[in-house]
Amino acid sequence: MVGNDIVDLEEAKFTSHWQRPRYLEKIFTETEQQLIKNCTNPFHVVWRLWSMKEAAYKLYVQVNPSQFYSPKSFECKFEFENGNVKYKNFECQIKTSITSKYILSEARLLDDRMTSEVIEFKDKTYKNQSAVLRNALLITLSELYQLSKEDLKFQKSEFNIPTVLCNSVNIHVSLTHHGHFGAYAI
Amino acid sequence: MTNDELITKLKTIIEPYIQDEVAFKTLSEDTDFINDLKVNSANLVDIILDIEDEFNIRLENEDMEKMLDVKAAMLIINTKLKA
Repeated sequence: MVGNDIVDLEEAKFTSHWQRPRYLEKIFTETEQQLIKNCTNPFHVVWRLWSMKEAAYKLYVQVNPSQFYSPKSFECKFEFENGNVKYKNFECQIKTSITSKYILSEARLLDDRMTSEVIEFKDKTYKNQSAVLRNALLITLSELYQLSKEDLKFQKSEFNIPTVLCNSVNIHVSLTHHGHFGAYAI
Repeated sequence: MTNDELITKLKTIIEPYIQDEVAFKTLSEDTDFINDLKVNSANLVDIILDIEDEFNIRLENEDMEKMLDVKAAMLIINTKLKA
């Protein structure tokens, strides 16, 4: 099981206004707000923490199928590329990759290497991006399991949790897109 | 405020963040922000702050937790406005 989340830094600059009043206190814990306040690049730390929370949430709902919006309750810590997120008695390990264009986090129950494949989209339409991303995921899975793409079926549960049905086995996957970037992980 | 007036105000707030025009045009109380309108979860907090500003209310963590669809948003706004 895996959860991943990508933040397109250009997109974040234009569509999210983290400096507006009350923004930070809505989604970050006191400790996280202090970290943002005292660091040299608050923009990066804001989006790093956000991608960690989202990746952890996507993993959490695979373990406990549900849907809710409670980013503040996911408590993050990080050092270098490693992170850790706690939510109630759930805990997961995070790997984060930061480039000049995006921040990508991947959550697993046990510490593991990052496996997300990143795609840069030419097109900003949600539907087209979604189709490109699913197609790339199915191609990777068909190569991995030596199956034809037609034997794989992408599906989403009532809580919007994605899986791929493969010979009557449900494989947990995670997909993310934001702005011009997307990523999938198996 | 009637439900229709409330939905109209909500639509103005949500519009900049939607990524599915068809779902937005046919928006109803059952429309889900993320699953139907494809609002990026990073923008859900922008919507929540816009709602606070527009209605001059404050949403707590437990309100935010349920803010997933139009129905829930309407219920929370109406409850806060009556309080």
